This record gives sequence, C-alpha cells and structure tokens, in this order.
Amino acid sequence: MKKASPFGRFARLAVQAFMALLVVVSVLPLYNIVSASLKSINEYPTNPILLPQAPTLENYQYAAFSGHLLQFTVNSLVMVPIGVVLYVAICIMAGYAFGKMRFAMRRQLFLLVLFMSIFPQLLLATQVSKLISLMHLTNTGLGAILSWVAYFSPFGTYIMTTYFTDMPYELVEAARIDGASQYRILWSVMAPMAIPMVATLSIIGFQSMWNELPFSMLILQQESMRTLTVGIAVLRGQYGLRVPILSAALVIAMVVPLLIFLLFQRYITLGVTAGAVKG
Amino acid sequence: MRYRRGLERDGAAPYIFLAPLLVLLAAFMIYPVVMNVVTSFTEWKGYGPWKWIGLANYKTMFADGQFWTSISNTALMVLYIPLSTIVTLLVAAFLREGIRGWKVYRAVLYIPNLLGYVLMGVIFSIYLRDDGALNVLIRAVIGAPIRFLITPVLAINVVGFLLVVFLHLGFGLIYFLAAMNGIDKEIYEAALIDGARFWKTFIKVTVPSIRFAVEFWVVFNFIEVFARMFSFIHTLTQGGPGYSTFTLEYGIFIQGFSKFKVGYASAWSTVLFVFCAIISIAQIRLMKSRDK
Repeated sequence: MKKASPFGRFARLAVQAFMALLVVVSVLPLYNIVSASLKSINEYPTNPILLPQAPTLENYQYAAFSGHLLQFTVNSLVMVPIGVVLYVAICIMAGYAFGKMRFAMRRQLFLLVLFMSIFPQLLLATQVSKLISLMHLTNTGLGAILSWVAYFSPFGTYIMTTYFTDMPYELVEAARIDGASQYRILWSVMAPMAIPMVATLSIIGFQSMWNELPFSMLILQQESMRTLTVGIAVLRGQYGLRVPILSAALVIAMVVPLLIFLLFQRYITLGVTAGAVKG
Repeated sequence: MRYRRGLERDGAAPYIFLAPLLVLLAAFMIYPVVMNVVTSFTEWKGYGPWKWIGLANYKTMFADGQFWTSISNTALMVLYIPLSTIVTLLVAAFLREGIRGWKVYRAVLYIPNLLGYVLMGVIFSIYLRDDGALNVLIRAVIGAPIRFLITPVLAINVVGFLLVVFLHLGFGLIYFLAAMNGIDKEIYEAALIDGARFWKTFIKVTVPSIRFAVEFWVVFNFIEVFARMFSFIHTLTQGGPGYSTFTLEYGIFIQGFSKFKVGYASAWSTVLFVFCAIISIAQIRLMKSRDK
C-alpha cells in the first residue's frame, strides 16, 4: 500500500523538482572548482564551464609543491589533533565541574563561560596576537593551538555541561559511597560513559580549529608554519594567481574535511544538535 | 542546571577541574576585552607607546562613513534571518515527509558547512566573478554579466544571502529535522486522516511544536552575523568593492591590522562588544525559558 502523503500528486512533483534544483544549484560551484582544477592554464579561458577536454594534473602538482599545499596540509594535520586533545580534556573537566559538582560561584562562572562562547574573534585578535608574541610563541604551532583551545573551549564546555547535567546523579553518588575520589569518578566512571558525546565534541573541535582563520593568520605569519586554511586565504589574496591553480589548491584542501564527513557522519549530525535542541 | 540542595560542597576539586579553562579564558578573553576598552581611549599602533586621547576615537568613529556602512550592512544581513528561517524550516519539513533520497539531499546540502567559510568564500569568489562560470551562463542568456562582486549593492546582498541563507541551510536541516523527530507521529497521522494538507500541518503542528528550536536558530543566526562573518568576507570580497561589504568585524580588521590604527579599531570593538552582550542576554533568557 502506498504511504499516505500530505502532498497532492502535483505538489509532490513540485517539491521533488524544487529539491533537485536546490541540490544542483548548490553543487554547481563545487563542480566548477573540480572541473577547473583539471584544465590546463591555456584551456581554462576558452572552456570555463564544460568538462575538461584534456584533463591534466599539472595544477595539482603546482599547488601541492610550489604552492606549498602539501606542507600546509601536514601542518594542519599535526597542529589540529593536538589542539583537539587539549580542548577535549579541558571541556570534559570543566563540563563535569559545572554539570555535577557543587561550589561557590558556579552559576556566575557558567554564565560567564556561556557569554564568552559567542565572542567575535576580531574583538580579541589584537591582544591575543600581542600576548602570543610576549610569550615568544609567534610562528609556533603551540601559539596557534593555545589561541584555538582558549577560544573554542567555552562552547565545548557548554556542550559537556549540558551532557553531564543530564546524566543521572546516582552514578556519582554510588561511586562516592564506594570511596572513589572526584578525580576517579570523572576519569573512570563519567568520562567513559560520555564517549559518544566526547566523539561529537572532538568532531566539533576538529572542524572549528581546522577552519579557524583570524588567529592562525596573525600568529602563523611565516609561510612554512601556515595551516591549510591560512594557506588558502593567502593564495586567494595573491594577485594574478590563475583560477585552475587556485581550484586545485581548493580541491586539495577539501580532502580532509570530506574524509572526516564520510567517516564520522553520525557524530557530525549529533554535533549539530548538541547542547541546543530539546524540542 | 539542577542543583541538589542539602549536600556538602565538593571542596577544591571543582576549582582544580576548572583551572585550565579559567586560566586560558583569563589570558585570551577577559584580558583582551578589558585591554580593548582601555586602548579605545588611546592612539596606538599596536606596538610602541600609547597616547591617551579620551573620547576622540569614538568621536571620529561616529563621524566615519565606513562605520555607518558597517552598521547598515550588519542590519541588512539581519534582514536575511527571517528568509533563512522560513526556507530552512520548509526544506526540513519537505525532507521530514520522506521525500525520496532525503538523506542524500541532507548530506549534499551540508557540504558547505563542512568545508567552512574560508573555502566557501574562495569558491564563490571564483564562481561569481565577472568571467566566472555563473557569468558565462548569464552572458549566454542576457548578453551581459551580472557584476555580483563589483556592484556594491549586489555584493553586500550576495554576502548576506550566501552566508545567512545558503551556507547554513545544511546545518539548519539537520538541526530542525532532529527537533521535528521529537514531534509525536500520531499528530501527523491524525492530521492526515482529517485531510489536512502540508501547509496546514506545517503552520499548525510542525512550527509550533519546535518553537524553541526555531528561537535558538534565530539567535544562532544573530551570532553568525555579528560575530562569525570575518572569514567569509575576507575570502569572498575582502570588504570590497571599496568598503561596501564591511561589517564591524571587517572594519576592526582593516583599521587594526591593515592601517595599524589599533586604538581606533578598539572603539569599533567596543560597539561590537555591546551588540554581542545584548545577543548573549537574549540567548541566556531563551535557555531559562526553555528549561522551565
């Protein structure tokens, strides 16, 4: 039996057509980049929109080596995971404290953290880069990582707080009666139970740090230290850089985010809804 | 945030757990915000000595056309929030009806969120330029290109539409679909038996049932418009043509890091801070009303 539908037959077709059109329109800019990246510098101006007639990988070679995209990818792949580990550890501890512990000023501190989770980066950028340079961390991975972890932790803490708040309190009490210390309760009882949420938090942290621009741009000025995101932004500003080369650079930069998506789609979906929707 | 009464406090442990976070926040957020207010009363290049100049930066700012353009641009982008909310809700409701291939649609429309503002900004800067792919098609139809990124009034609307409506669509779909999942299916079945069509259930059932999610979505969009646009503008239009796609954030960047007028940029930052404080208060109130 056909499922009953709130659409009439015509409306159903119209909706299908609208969705198909929406998807085509949003894929076109991406198709354009991929197709341009495979055209030679000479072919692109004469054939800007159709599929490449003589596909070539020369743009990739140029972008990866002369454009240092490979180096930038490695930089990101080293710095971001370190940042994520620090971020996750800090957010778990703080989230547990806010969600399941009792102490003076808890509410005030939590509101402060919540407030900070929406600060614009440009509000902080001057002083952050100054601070990093005072710490002699300009052009170091550690400098960028510290700025990322500090900036993204308030939101992560908020997510972990809502998660721990909703966990049954009996778990903590039972562990306490067994004589476990607060540290043991967190790391041996609560954190292992929170693993799906920690995976979600890691993905959120990874995406935030991977795509971060303003702080990285100011802290990592030396070319050899740039992250992929900074590298792409700088290439974009380079006058006279040919579209096929820039396109190849973009495609290279898409690889890791797309892989993350394919591997961890479930956690990305959870991440979108974390901390906010409850009906 | 539930709080159990009658139990003793946890001593030093919570402060130890919070210490790393609080140290980082003190150094990288509180200190910068306080210093920002201080430097807004000075003439300072970002290095070297300060000169105390009182309210002069604020006076200059309120007479600065770039500042008012930034404010009106931000206001324009806020106007895209209702459109974004309606479109996203509608598409989510379409997908909820189990349109064939809805999972594919959801995944494809999420790609821009995955790639992030920097990549999407560069991608659209290529796609929309005068000799870009879209204009090759447009030229074939109407004979002349549409100068999306060159005509000031078009450029700012392109930024607003892409950022507020298009780039968040995939994120919003997942978000609203999750919220719609929580609605009792029997309500829809009953509505169907009553012969209610899509529009009627959309307006009478779907939207009211996920009211809080919709309100959060609106607040989220305000945050994006005021506090998260820099990367996209920097890679799509670089604030141009002229300063016609400036927002407060972009103005702070240009004044502070390109013209080295850090004191002056700080005055802009103070205004941005006030806006963000207002948004934050709205957000906190919303959370309180939801938890009741």
